[in-house]
Amino acid sequence: MTHPGPSATGLAATGLACSLGNRTLFQGLDLAAAPGQWLALTGENGAGKSTLLRILAGLLRPVAGTLTWQGAPVRAGDPAWHAQLLYQGHASGWKELLSAEENLAQQAELDLAALDAAERRRRVDAALTRAGIARQRRLPFARLSAGQRRRVALARLALGPRPLWLLDEPNTALDADGQTLFAALLDEHLAAGGCAVVASHLPVPARHAGIGLRLDGGNGNGHGSGSGNVQSGGAGSGRGGVPGDGSDAALGPSGTTAR
Amino acid sequence: MTVVNALRAAETLPALRALSLGCRRDLRLALRSRAELALVLVFFLLVMTLFPLGVGPEPALLARIAPGIAWVAALLASLLSLPRLFAGDHADGSLEQLVLAPASLPALIAGKVLAHWLTSGLPLVLLAPLAALQFGLAPEPAAALVAGLALGTPTLSWLGAVCAALTLGTRSGGALLALLVLPLAVPVLIFGAGAAEAVSGGLGAGAHLSLLGAGLIGSCVLGPFATALAVRIAHE
Repeated sequence: MTHPGPSATGLAATGLACSLGNRTLFQGLDLAAAPGQWLALTGENGAGKSTLLRILAGLLRPVAGTLTWQGAPVRAGDPAWHAQLLYQGHASGWKELLSAEENLAQQAELDLAALDAAERRRRVDAALTRAGIARQRRLPFARLSAGQRRRVALARLALGPRPLWLLDEPNTALDADGQTLFAALLDEHLAAGGCAVVASHLPVPARHAGIGLRLDGGNGNGHGSGSGNVQSGGAGSGRGGVPGDGSDAALGPSGTTAR
Repeated sequence: MTVVNALRAAETLPALRALSLGCRRDLRLALRSRAELALVLVFFLLVMTLFPLGVGPEPALLARIAPGIAWVAALLASLLSLPRLFAGDHADGSLEQLVLAPASLPALIAGKVLAHWLTSGLPLVLLAPLAALQFGLAPEPAAALVAGLALGTPTLSWLGAVCAALTLGTRSGGALLALLVLPLAVPVLIFGAGAAEAVSGGLGAGAHLSLLGAGLIGSCVLGPFATALAVRIAHE
């Protein structure tokens, strides 16, 4: 254990387990992302990537395990915790009836609550331009292509700082230029000390190499003890196995069962 | 901006701003789909028109059953607009974003329900005098009917919101929603229709309206939390 266990900063989870029905998606899952690090979440379809992201966001309660942010246990549903994270799931959360600009402005009211209206409008303008959809800003969302919709999601990333990004396939349907833009946004976020967990089937051409986390989930053969393997490793600084018992007082008792 | 600054800048929305945001958001969306709004009103008027055709044009009978019919029509009309409250947001993922918003979820939901009432309940209250006229209701019972609807329809919106959130993600949610809401709405219906009848019978509507008001206060206090809980459960 070269690294001091799950760090007191950033995101850390120990012993996460999740099952859907009687199928174990994963169990005993440990992960950690310090400021400036990002986890590249991979795994085949149905391995539980989206479920893990939902658990990390606090939308879903894990069967077991603890989740800490900046050393303190995460309280799901706490607005202060929500102010730290930016979650983008499968469903984008954009309204088809509104234009890209209206959608983003509406989201900005929640994401940038601390700023005044003029500053928010300026940020929205800048984000739309940055994401390359400034020309389509007034089109109803329903008329945007899949790639353009993704770019609105990128614009949200460019809106302003949220320390933790939880992104579910943010780069599908993007063209090469969009891929580069996403990588650039991610690099900026990490350089500013942010964390990210990104589930993706595509490589992200970011300068910061992601820490690989592969979910090799239950593969249909069910609920045995062997299922739910997690293979981790890769590029980041020695993340190791991170069981971290006792090494970090801020961490909740590992393996406690969350109801 | 560094993360340290972000930690400082990340601010949660005060409850009142969250309420106004939820309300403005849904009002804007409702105004984009005006046809759906009109649908509820046309449905209300249509049901009100069908009854005289069904029971015959006898003025005394019509005046007697008018409050009851107005209330049943209002109940069915509000049922029609209930799926709009959460189902669309659930399908496109924006409800998820509201659940994860840095604001109190009950406040956001209170805003949404307020917008729902403004676009479906309030128009019914405003249309009720017209319906009363159509049935030849005397001015005093008509006033009691309108007052009853003004106090009762927000309660219906809250009952509907809780049930709509509970039925999120279920198959045939609309039918299930009706089965859940209609029994719960019975007390509102009884006291609402009773208010106008009491006035027609020479008694005051005070007792009925007080009970409706008490129901309204109760639903405004408990509704946001119950609905927020149901919405959270729907995302598990």
